[in-house]
Amino acid sequence: MFDNYEVDGLFDEVFSSDGRPRKHYSPLLSRLKVLGQAAFEKRRRVTDVLFRNQGITFTVYSDTRGVEKIFPFDLVPRIVPADEWDLIERGLIQRITALNLFCQDIYHGQRILRERVIPPELIYGAKMFRREMFGVKVPRDIYIHICGTDLIRDKEGKYYVLEDNGRTPSGVSYVLENRAVMKRVFPSLFSAYRVRAIEDYPFNLLQCLKHIAPHHVDDAGIAILTPGIYNSAYFEHSFLARQMGVELVEGRDLVVDKGFLYMRTTAGLRRVDVLYRRVDDDFLDPLCFRPDSVLGVPGLMNVYRVGNLALANAVGTGVADDKAIYPYVPDMIKFYMGQDPILPNVKTYICANDSDRKYVLEHLDELVVKSTNESGGYGMLMGHQSTSEERKKFAEKIADDPRNFIAQPVIQLSQHPSLVDDHFEGRRVDLRPYIIHGQKVIVMPGGLTRVALRKGSLVVNSSQGGGSKDTWVLEDE
Amino acid sequence: MLARDADAMYWMARYVERAEHVARLLLVNSNLLIDVGDLAPALQARQWQSLLTILRSPELPDGPDLAQRVGQFLTVNADNPNSILNCLTRARENARGIRENISSEMWENLNTLYWSLRGDDAPGRFDESPDDLYRSVMTGSMLFQGLTDQTLAHDQRWLFTQLAKYLERTDVTCRVIQTKYDILKSNEQIFDSTLRNLHWMAVLRSCCSIEAYRRHYLGDMEPTRVAGFLILERSFPRSIRFSVSGALSAISAIRAGARGNAIDPTERILGRLDAQLEYAELGEILSEGIANYLQRIQTTVHEAAVAVQQSYFMH
Repeated sequence: MFDNYEVDGLFDEVFSSDGRPRKHYSPLLSRLKVLGQAAFEKRRRVTDVLFRNQGITFTVYSDTRGVEKIFPFDLVPRIVPADEWDLIERGLIQRITALNLFCQDIYHGQRILRERVIPPELIYGAKMFRREMFGVKVPRDIYIHICGTDLIRDKEGKYYVLEDNGRTPSGVSYVLENRAVMKRVFPSLFSAYRVRAIEDYPFNLLQCLKHIAPHHVDDAGIAILTPGIYNSAYFEHSFLARQMGVELVEGRDLVVDKGFLYMRTTAGLRRVDVLYRRVDDDFLDPLCFRPDSVLGVPGLMNVYRVGNLALANAVGTGVADDKAIYPYVPDMIKFYMGQDPILPNVKTYICANDSDRKYVLEHLDELVVKSTNESGGYGMLMGHQSTSEERKKFAEKIADDPRNFIAQPVIQLSQHPSLVDDHFEGRRVDLRPYIIHGQKVIVMPGGLTRVALRKGSLVVNSSQGGGSKDTWVLEDE
Repeated sequence: MLARDADAMYWMARYVERAEHVARLLLVNSNLLIDVGDLAPALQARQWQSLLTILRSPELPDGPDLAQRVGQFLTVNADNPNSILNCLTRARENARGIRENISSEMWENLNTLYWSLRGDDAPGRFDESPDDLYRSVMTGSMLFQGLTDQTLAHDQRWLFTQLAKYLERTDVTCRVIQTKYDILKSNEQIFDSTLRNLHWMAVLRSCCSIEAYRRHYLGDMEPTRVAGFLILERSFPRSIRFSVSGALSAISAIRAGARGNAIDPTERILGRLDAQLEYAELGEILSEGIANYLQRIQTTVHEAAVAVQQSYFMH
């Protein structure tokens, strides 16, 4: 199965450069060999049916027919040893703490701007900066309650933070479902390892939501706000509501009355105190943000501002995961916490800076250019794979609106074996762990390992044909 | 519970029940025609068209392959709102919107059933053996109802599924009896006793009632008794009286949970109907005419369905 497996000078998660398996992967490999290819293939078919029958799907917008798709699942698990995880966990806790201090500062005293650590024009130019939040006290001063941080490894295997998703990160339901399916299909593989459990994520999330409930409430009404069944992440919204036992509501189920938010039930109106909203800021309240939004609730922001409602994540956190502000996160960590960053950033050029922009325009063919407010792999240029035509177009876009672009060197992501037809081939992977900031900060031991299923591709987003695999974090020995 | 969720719960259950009825009608009809087809060829077309009447669909043009066309129309036709495929699609769409309200067992069962008709291999399975497909839909629906009873808390959510199921069952059962009775009445002279028995057995089978009836009347196929059994039998879950009474207890419990002692229009409508059935006498029904009587029940059930809509789903 591993004959002709190529490492190609990349960092391979399973094999070291001399072609020998890394220590923490050898039990897995020997079990796979015993199992044989036919049995493996059979299990792959079983998982496909399992995913379809359970309706574990996501929605692709460009596709007019059969909009529901199964998120391709790659059966070979990724294994992260305890010492590596320790570093990741400490780094992530440090990062979410700094990002929250940053949000609190930006919407109150703005010390970080006054002390010229971050140029103010970068903040005021950010699309996701919400003037409406200035001076608003949010429950427990937490802004980013749930964060999904994308990590990658370079050729040497060193971990970097590629981006922080501090608005409404998705994917955690696939992490939980992937694990459930793996246990069902490959129970024997688990016995060779002590894999840390991730099943308490919904419990931790619920605890976090209770923690931020308004003080005057004993038995908080908690709900998840979804844009509806046609949203790409609807499965996840429904999944989390089910796991936590809370209501899943749409904007049309909610109504504001005399400073409180209510949902329409068969027995009349019932108060909602905490909303885990999976609707973007822009659509939350047509009276405050986009007036054409039908996904939100008129008057919701007023309820929020007077403190009768808690939102997770808070409104305005987009300012912290803006890609042009990302390069300053290490500075934030130093500024607010007096510490050195545990997980480094990827070198980033901010097109709004004249010298950076000049460099970017001259080196377009070796950089990845990203729009600062897009996600899901939309609106980006992979310089080394682009045509001169595409580069020309992008250069114009950058010149038009430099604030909207950043550029990074192409990182050769680490690879991990995936089953392709009847043998294994290396495919690029990243890792998105999930962090919950409630009474304390909890990093889920695991995360979503996304796989670029096309050979040589560096783009792992599900909307661009990516898949995922189960991620095992091992207990300390 | 959310008004929107109650709405979806209700329609999910109604569509599953409807799919089951359509499948059973098709299965029973094709089996009946295997038995009696040669004996009364003229009736064949009429039998198939009557299925469309029961489901309130316009008749298809007579001609060759009528059986196949009706089967196709009622099973996989995408334009027929009452085809099994469409019923299950809508049931699943509703379920998909309320997955956090139903158990994962219910969802998986319904989703699997949906894919068995929607999947790439479904047309082949239909061509190969329509009967097997009908059976799998019936079993799927029964399993779904069992799971609903056994994996869902018997709270408001569950009550809405019960209400929906019994209203749908009352409605379809009324129309099955009405339509079949009509055919049999107008063809009485060409039926010998064998044919007549087979037909009444088919009516009972269409309502999943043949065994219960036989046990009750020791196998005697007397038309008025069959009608009486399907309308008035107190203890049989497929009879109209049982279904109305089930719908009434569901709506009473829903009202008590949501509104306390306030008067509920749906409950009033169903309560009156229930009382009427409780004290009904077969002779009176026959002298009014079964068709008329069943028509009145259908109108009342329709009023009840509208009332539920207004009191619980449209806040």
